[in-house]
Amino acid sequence: MSATKPHTSTEVVDVKGSSGSHSRIGEIASRLASKLSGSRQRHPVLHRLLLTVLVVCLGLVLTGLVSGVTNLDLATGVAMSVAILGLSFLTGFSGQVSLGNGAFFGVGAYVFAIWGNHQSSSIGEDLLVCTAAGAVAGLIVGLPATRLRGPYLAGMTIAVAIAFGSLIDEFSSWTNGDQGLNVQSPVTPPAWLASFIGEPTSSLRATFMWRADITIVVAGITFFLMANLFRSRKGRAMRLMRENEVAAELVGVSLPGARVSAFVVSAALAGLGGGLTTLVSTAVYGSTFTLGLSIEMLTLLVIGGIGTLSGSLIAGLLYAYSITWISSLVSGLGLTSSSNLGSQMNNIIFGAVLIITVLVAPLGIAGTTQFVISRRLARRRTERLDKAG
Amino acid sequence: MDAFLTSRNASDVLHGLVNGMVFGLVALGLVLIWRATRVLNFALGAMATAAAYLGLGLLSYGVGFWWCFLLCIPAGMAIGALTERFLVRPLYGKPEINPIVAMVGLLILIEAVVGSIWGTRQRSVIPPFSYVDWHLGSNPVALSPLAVFQIGCAVVMALAVGALFRFTNLGLQLRAAALAPEVSRLLGVRVSRMLTLGWALATGVAAVACVIVSSGFISGLTPSGMEGPFAAGFIAAAVGGLESPVGALVGGVSLGILEAFVTDYWSPNLVLPVSLLVLVVVLVVRPNGLFGHQRVRRV
Amino acid sequence: MIRVAGLSVSYGAVRALRDVSFDVPTGQVTAVIGSNGAGKTTLLRTISGLVRPAAGSIDFDGLELVGLRTEAIARRGIGHVPEGRGVIEEFTVLDNLRLGSLHGRGKLAAGLETQFELFPILASRRKQHAGTLSGGERQMLAMARALIAEPSVLLLDEPSVGLAPIVTRDVMTTIRELCVDRRLTVVLVEQDAMSALQVADRAVVLHVGEVVADAAAEVVRADENLRHYYLGVAT
Repeated sequence: MSATKPHTSTEVVDVKGSSGSHSRIGEIASRLASKLSGSRQRHPVLHRLLLTVLVVCLGLVLTGLVSGVTNLDLATGVAMSVAILGLSFLTGFSGQVSLGNGAFFGVGAYVFAIWGNHQSSSIGEDLLVCTAAGAVAGLIVGLPATRLRGPYLAGMTIAVAIAFGSLIDEFSSWTNGDQGLNVQSPVTPPAWLASFIGEPTSSLRATFMWRADITIVVAGITFFLMANLFRSRKGRAMRLMRENEVAAELVGVSLPGARVSAFVVSAALAGLGGGLTTLVSTAVYGSTFTLGLSIEMLTLLVIGGIGTLSGSLIAGLLYAYSITWISSLVSGLGLTSSSNLGSQMNNIIFGAVLIITVLVAPLGIAGTTQFVISRRLARRRTERLDKAG
Repeated sequence: MDAFLTSRNASDVLHGLVNGMVFGLVALGLVLIWRATRVLNFALGAMATAAAYLGLGLLSYGVGFWWCFLLCIPAGMAIGALTERFLVRPLYGKPEINPIVAMVGLLILIEAVVGSIWGTRQRSVIPPFSYVDWHLGSNPVALSPLAVFQIGCAVVMALAVGALFRFTNLGLQLRAAALAPEVSRLLGVRVSRMLTLGWALATGVAAVACVIVSSGFISGLTPSGMEGPFAAGFIAAAVGGLESPVGALVGGVSLGILEAFVTDYWSPNLVLPVSLLVLVVVLVVRPNGLFGHQRVRRV
Repeated sequence: MIRVAGLSVSYGAVRALRDVSFDVPTGQVTAVIGSNGAGKTTLLRTISGLVRPAAGSIDFDGLELVGLRTEAIARRGIGHVPEGRGVIEEFTVLDNLRLGSLHGRGKLAAGLETQFELFPILASRRKQHAGTLSGGERQMLAMARALIAEPSVLLLDEPSVGLAPIVTRDVMTTIRELCVDRRLTVVLVEQDAMSALQVADRAVVLHVGEVVADAAAEVVRADENLRHYYLGVAT
């Protein structure tokens, strides 16, 4: 509230009067905010749970309102955000930069399909198995990777990403190589859901709504669990590793153990994301899981915000929607998609956004927002203390 | 002697030598940049490609091959210098993921921009050398005037860079700025200028590598043409340890020759897995590469 | 002459130097002494431009040093032998010296001759890598490297560290001779206060970033309180 220069006495009265009513609303609002933050500090897990349930419910409502195609994109984005959440944890907390998590994503995708095709199992079982498969893959990679730093770690993860492609070809009896693998019994919506939206169970809208709903609920559970891990004492101690390994060791973090666990967790989440993606699309194609996918995951994460939860969600949605948005931009500019500029526009924008993000807002969208908010809160707190004192 | 030179193994070595020199130059560029600024330049291949397009693009305007070729070098140096000055320098002291992502972004951006300006169709680059293999009697030796030109260019570049570092005052300052930047400043060395110069040199060298890769009758210039050589150069540099320019060159040449043998005796598809396997094995045994050393950790 | 006025330096929340002011007379040895953490090294680094002060000025014969880049300050004739000597281990003795002479006054050949005369041991080791030298030899190399540029000012940060007392005495004597012979202005930061005071003309005592004494060396040497409280020397 800056001081205004009064011209006449009447104006002074007016200013005082209006600021008076403003301040009453402001008082109520700030009292509410402080009560909320107070209870949030006392019962953090409960708050997180309520917030998660709220967001999940909103998501479920949304799926009921939109078309089948939109639900397909939404589910794809949410599934990817689960995978990217793992990468967010790996990079933001243990400081390990991985250019190979696309391979773990692929492991989960294939295992979900293969397990489901060869066993008569429930969706839950399939999801658990693909998560576990991802975790095992993460262990295999994480163990040798723990001694590597910087570019050497990057090199090994790149090798993993590329090697995965060769593995797909090598085990083509299982994976069907480039032709891809189909889920033999795709997930279909239950009768009650179909009648709820007034459509037959075979309709596209019902099918994808159901799949999106599953994805959102599973993602909600995952985000909730990870949120608790992020804020836990163990999580915060791990975060030290990113900035200063020696300090982390002093605090008691076992460096190799923590680094491997981070890999396992991130690979498990990537595997889960892959499984969910297969659930939604009912097919797995080997050509999806290239080094490019791993790079895309990391770079989307940077834009969203490393080490954050909401940033992972943003990254996942960007993955699903950026191509659509950019192609509408291209046609909006009057370029054809086959022209030189038009066909490259996707990458031009992507590359430019990446560079700008790193230079200007390296914390990403979510990270920068959190930073700005916490700075403003801290400033307001000191202002309040000054006023009180 | 004749039998040896025309033998299968000798052919493989000679074939692998050309590729190997390209990999070696890329690896050299990566090592120069790493030693100067501790950044792994994922975009080096793309930057080299852009320089090659700028230089060789003049071919279509009737400029002679040699002029175009020579122009690629200052074009590359300019690109390298500008990148260091405006993209990398702001990121010094920040977490290491930032320059990695910035370079990946630059890679994507440059390839896309080049593609949008010049198109993605392969452009032929025909140097004034025959690609026909020489013959000893009636048997071909896997060497043609073109191959000699390619190998020669690479050798000249490597020697030039080596001589610069070894025998000139500028080279002394470049090395000092990379090894001990603070002490160098205290001795009057303009360290930030040296770092920029390091990037310029590395990109100029890589630009030559790109020209070599693209010249010939089967190959040509494409926006993503340096991706393969970059991967091989990276593997060679990482195996060598990112600290040794000589190691990078030797590693690159060795990798090229290894690839030639793998292609001949097994299959071209196994080239990448074999190279990656070599990388993984080396890193597991020596986490800092064969000749690398770990910097002391300070709180 | 170097005039330091009102210098304040902070590392984040920590105040390393508070309002430090003193003069360094030309052609004399000024010792800067005090216990660990007193800010002595920070002071030298600020003069050399490696650290930017929050406030204050450093005047060198009319030239304001604060705000200049380190390289520029070095080229103006202010040599600095840093803490730990900073010899480049991967370079030979010769290359280290070559580097030192690049941006100084005088020619390399003449400079090498002078330094080898001053430090004959360096001559015999000229082709060796600096990493193979002993502590005392490295000290000599670091000083020769700074001197070959023919500076008018020499900043020395704890030259006695890791050296045996005999070697320290030699180093200090050499410093004194250099100062007298070449009219070199020397700022000598030392943990070993008594050795420094033996060869100094003036002494500045720092304690927790503040100047607690600024006087002729004999005065500081004789002051028992100073020695006891700030220099950790038993009375």
